[in-house]
Amino acid sequence: MSAWWLRIVNALFFFALPLTCYAQQPSGKLSVVTSFAKDVTDPVKKAFEAANPAVTLDVQNRNTNAGVKFLEETRSNNQVDLFWASAPDAFEVLKSKSLLQNYKPKATGIPEKIGQFPINDPQGYYFGFAASGYGIMWNERYAKANKLPDPKEWQDLTSPQYFDHVSIAAPSRSGTTHLTIETILQGEGWAKGWATVRRMAGNFREVTERSFGVPEAVNSGQIGYGIVIDFFAFSSQASGFPVKFVYPSVTAIVPANIGIVANAPNKGAAEAFVDFLLSPAGQNLLFDPRIRRLPVNPAAYDKAPAGYPNPFTDPRLNSMVKFDVKKSEARNDAVDTLFDQTITFQLADLKEAAKAINEVEQALAKKSNPQAKALLDEAIAQMTAVPITEEQASSPEISGAFSGGKGKKGARQAELEQQWASFAKEHNAAARAKAAEALKLAK
Amino acid sequence: MTAVEFGSGGKGAAAPRAAFRAGWGQLAIGLLVLAFLLVFLVWPVATVIWVAFTEKGSSSFTLTNFADFARTDLFIRSLWNSFYASAMAVVGASMLALPLAYLTTRYVFRGAKLVQVLGFLPLIMPPFVGAVALQLFFGRNGSVNLLLDDWIGIKIPFMEGLNGVIFVQSIHYFPFILVNLTTALQNLDRSMEEAAQNLGSHGFRLFRRIVFPLALPGYVAGASLVFVKVFDDLATPLLLNVKDMLAPQAYLRVTSIGIADPMGYVISVVLIVASVAAMWASSLATRNIDYATLQRGGGGHAKRELKSLSAVLAYALVFVIIALVLAPHVALLLLSFATVWSFSPLPDGFTVAHYVRVFSDSAGLIKNTLLYATLAGLIDIIVGTAISYLVLRSKIAGARALDLLATAALAVPGVVLGIGYLRAFYDIRLWDGTSLASAWIVIVIALAIRRLPYALRACYAALQQISASLEEAAENLGATKGATIRRIVIPLMTGGLVAGFVTSFATAAVELSATLMLVQTDANAPLAYGLYVFMQSASGRGPGAALGVIAVLIVAVGVVVSQRVAERTRRIDNGSLGN
Amino acid sequence: MEALAFGGASGIGLKAVDLQIENVSAAFGDHVVLDGINLLIQPGEFFALLGPSGCGKTTLLRTIAGFATTSRGNVLVGGQNVSALPPWRRDVGMVFQSYALWPHMTVGRNVAFGLEERRLPRAEIKRRVDLALTFVGLNKEIDRYPSQLSGGQQQRVALARTLAVAPKVLLLDEPLSNLDAKLRVRVRRELRALQKSLGLTTIIVTHDQDEANTICDRIAVMNEGRVQQVGTPTELYERPANLFVAQFLGMANVLSGRANGAVFESSVGVTLDRGTAADRAVPVFRPQDATLAPPDDTTERGPSFAGIVDEREFLGSAVRYGVRAASNLLWVEAPFHSGAPLKEVGEAVRVNLCPDRIMWLDH
Repeated sequence: MSAWWLRIVNALFFFALPLTCYAQQPSGKLSVVTSFAKDVTDPVKKAFEAANPAVTLDVQNRNTNAGVKFLEETRSNNQVDLFWASAPDAFEVLKSKSLLQNYKPKATGIPEKIGQFPINDPQGYYFGFAASGYGIMWNERYAKANKLPDPKEWQDLTSPQYFDHVSIAAPSRSGTTHLTIETILQGEGWAKGWATVRRMAGNFREVTERSFGVPEAVNSGQIGYGIVIDFFAFSSQASGFPVKFVYPSVTAIVPANIGIVANAPNKGAAEAFVDFLLSPAGQNLLFDPRIRRLPVNPAAYDKAPAGYPNPFTDPRLNSMVKFDVKKSEARNDAVDTLFDQTITFQLADLKEAAKAINEVEQALAKKSNPQAKALLDEAIAQMTAVPITEEQASSPEISGAFSGGKGKKGARQAELEQQWASFAKEHNAAARAKAAEALKLAK
Repeated sequence: MTAVEFGSGGKGAAAPRAAFRAGWGQLAIGLLVLAFLLVFLVWPVATVIWVAFTEKGSSSFTLTNFADFARTDLFIRSLWNSFYASAMAVVGASMLALPLAYLTTRYVFRGAKLVQVLGFLPLIMPPFVGAVALQLFFGRNGSVNLLLDDWIGIKIPFMEGLNGVIFVQSIHYFPFILVNLTTALQNLDRSMEEAAQNLGSHGFRLFRRIVFPLALPGYVAGASLVFVKVFDDLATPLLLNVKDMLAPQAYLRVTSIGIADPMGYVISVVLIVASVAAMWASSLATRNIDYATLQRGGGGHAKRELKSLSAVLAYALVFVIIALVLAPHVALLLLSFATVWSFSPLPDGFTVAHYVRVFSDSAGLIKNTLLYATLAGLIDIIVGTAISYLVLRSKIAGARALDLLATAALAVPGVVLGIGYLRAFYDIRLWDGTSLASAWIVIVIALAIRRLPYALRACYAALQQISASLEEAAENLGATKGATIRRIVIPLMTGGLVAGFVTSFATAAVELSATLMLVQTDANAPLAYGLYVFMQSASGRGPGAALGVIAVLIVAVGVVVSQRVAERTRRIDNGSLGN
Repeated sequence: MEALAFGGASGIGLKAVDLQIENVSAAFGDHVVLDGINLLIQPGEFFALLGPSGCGKTTLLRTIAGFATTSRGNVLVGGQNVSALPPWRRDVGMVFQSYALWPHMTVGRNVAFGLEERRLPRAEIKRRVDLALTFVGLNKEIDRYPSQLSGGQQQRVALARTLAVAPKVLLLDEPLSNLDAKLRVRVRRELRALQKSLGLTTIIVTHDQDEANTICDRIAVMNEGRVQQVGTPTELYERPANLFVAQFLGMANVLSGRANGAVFESSVGVTLDRGTAADRAVPVFRPQDATLAPPDDTTERGPSFAGIVDEREFLGSAVRYGVRAASNLLWVEAPFHSGAPLKEVGEAVRVNLCPDRIMWLDH
């Protein structure tokens, strides 16, 4: 016979066990602010709620900017549990404003990086649960009507035949596009990278202010070629649009992230959700043709459909030599603003210069002329010049201009913007002049 | 024979402005309206805009940001582009609206009512999906251009650059002029026209010298709305990827992540100031002229008949205009039934699957949309009538300031208002602990505030056409001011009230920018939000279009119902046939 | 300004023409407003269209001006058929009841309007505007706006505006209805003087018989879309064509009763010789064509009947008694000289009729 107290302890233990299970079982309403489309959230919601019947997932769909602002404004009585979006820049902002909370997910087997790109925030405030690659998407009917060849590399888009046929989202509006540009800059070097970007930009028809604007236009056939994230292309194809996609040899891996909001009302369920996404069940969901993301757990690829890209083994997704995250972050605002001031808001001007250069190139293709070629090279150098050096881009003066505050040395943001815009304008004009000279000789 | 002397002393046909009455009632109304505007417009916007006056990153006051604005080529270029586009859009919209208004009100025109309903639809363009539909029709590789290219080998740049913006905006906002001008023409004293005809005038000369100047309040109401709305509109320029205009610049900067950039708010301030200035300038055009008439559209009743050739031309012209302005909706309809539509004049195939998909969601969305839009419309015409009455009938100082203040709401970008509401109201708790900002009534107020200027202009123009002596007659017979307003003024204003309500209702039904910030649960979501969610993916384009079509239908029904109400009242108004 | 100077060849140059209305009908839907109207108005005549509300007189006026689009029939101005012409080519001047002055134009621009439409040279326009405004005595107001003028002044401007274009015919739509009684009397005298001096053929629409009687040459009495009778004021009064005309112009007593062979047995108790009256005609007499006598006074030989004085109206130059006889209320009027005795209400009297003054009228 056990002592009476032992029996009580036993009984308590007996009752407590299910209670503890109950306490750990997530329940109630789980509120998510996300920028992902219904195509993604619906299947995940269904699977998660099936695995956790006591939880209801309430999805609030907002674009990333609106979502960040919303969290900022409602922090005093936060009702949101999770923030679920693509690019890490939004998460960095939230982290810096202490709007996220720390967590250590239970999932195992998830490496620190895919290729050269880190998957998670080192401090554990947000986690990558999927990845995607960037590439080129185009409309077959458009290409056929305009008799254009299929592109393969970023460099292809700089050739004159694609003039006025290409589109991209502004890096300042699309974190994932920003990473792609940064990849080009780090891969080819500052000056050469900007040269590629600017020559490509010369062929742009438009620079959209939201990521989805690019695939949308390609789907309609309004634009021929778009620089897009891969799942846009695949989901378009799944919907029947006549589009094709290619990964260039060197491309960016862009993650999709999730983070738990500080002071989340339903922390337990939030953590369960994160764990679910990183679990094998969650990772497998990513193969759904409506979702079409790349799992971050290498083991998941055992169950992948045939031909599915594997970033851990595919050389195109894995060949980035070295991606310096710190450098990318330090010059984040500078790169965004450079792009906007010299390309996005100067597009008409830039295209004039590009057109002039293209004409010369086409003339020289027919009949070569070394003098003209020399002038052409000068013109190209003018058009692709960058107002600041790489060191300046990361310098405290310049990043200070963007964060602002009293007593900072150096120019204000508005002044920098005006300087860079004028720089571009002047150089475009010079490029046009040189190209005109070259054309005269080439004809 | 002496000179004819008819003697003076008869009652005048046009009475001077109502004498000043220091009624407490009027003062109270004025203060109420002021409080409403302060709480729901000024304060939330101020919490957001004050950044424009501070140094970046700190809180110290400075005006350098405005100096920077003036020094930046991009901004000055944007300012000029915005002005130019707005002015040209007024011209474009007038060219579309004037023939329609004139032909349907002055002549026996079969289908006049249909024209007036259809002519209203362009105002209701569902966000995002409307843009896609428009591009599919008029874009560089849209239906029209593909066909033109095939047949003639040319393409017309409908939707390119600033001209594209002007083209789309003219179509989109011409209903403002149509609705207001039609009302004014219908309320015109026919004897004014007949006197001119009797003296030998007819046709275009008659229109130019007599009819149009007398309908000027209505035209100016509509034209000023078009100007300001185009000036402040960011959706269309962004759709066409024209970024060097003020409103898109403001939006892009305000909605960027991370950078605490005051320039977005600086531009917002410039937008507000410029819009208010434009409205104020337009009010100068119709001051000093007494438009009130005693005979309300009566005197002459028969519309003129159109002779055969003119009839053919007239119907043809109306048909062309209506076809043009409804093309986007036709495209939207096609899109909602399309399987795939890409780089071809027409979709590859048709299906009803999209409607099936949205069917389950739509009931709640429709209910919310109807509720929000109707309430917003009602709030707007009540406040709009109150302000118009204070400006036109009382001598309370500052009534005009109220008018300008309410009009400033047009210039506030929806996202700024949304953020402002969150900032201002989130910490206010209701009795059950939830935040005020998450209550659906806040969405309604946000919608109402942004649409108040439309209703205000319509009410104002309607009241301007009523002679004060009509009210004085009622008071003379013992009616209090309140009874007079209820039994005389409001019924006589019905046309304008309906125009105002319908405009508010229709545009509130498809509003997205403020809604996006304030919707916090699916239960509160209106159609525009549901549409937005669908439009984030390729497969959602069809369902998004289906929701868009539903939204347009709802609004069309609402417009027809409102016009029926107005028609009934107008018939009672005009009363008996002649002696 | 002298009317002759204004209306003569060196002034505006007005001419007198005739106006013929030939078989004009009009209807709104199935409601008939005018039914076969035929009228001939002489050059220089001041002609009235007189009738109660809804009789069609305004519609007829608007038909002449060209605003009634649903009318059939012909209108000839000075022998020229204008029926097919739109309003702006008919050259008939109309002054509207509300004056219809354009608020966005000055007085001068209002008056100049018609002249500008006729593309007259600038100097001629100025001359005529000055002439017209001087004629109505308002040349000092030439730069003011209508809202700044009194009602009477506005009317004069409207008149000047119409006269300035030298119309062939002048149409006036209820010109006096906006004025008070005293002013009305004065203004209508001036209107008549004006018309006579200008010699312009003028048609006036009115519901006021005093107005029509005092200023017009001839009147067309209208009811229910038809012309009941046309004639001078005296003709209409003395020889009304039917009951309506008799009762509309002046007062008329109708005796109820029934025809019986050659006589009419009235309900008040008197029998009247019908003579050549039509079968359905009823006897009608004017108040001043009967006299009152004490009840037992049988000196008079003509038809008479007994009654009780029910009402009495003192008119200054006359007294009017309402006499009740066998449920009829009949009015008798007698001249009043100061000092003469008045009958009292409730008093019994004898009403004496004058047989040759009895009118036999049909509906």
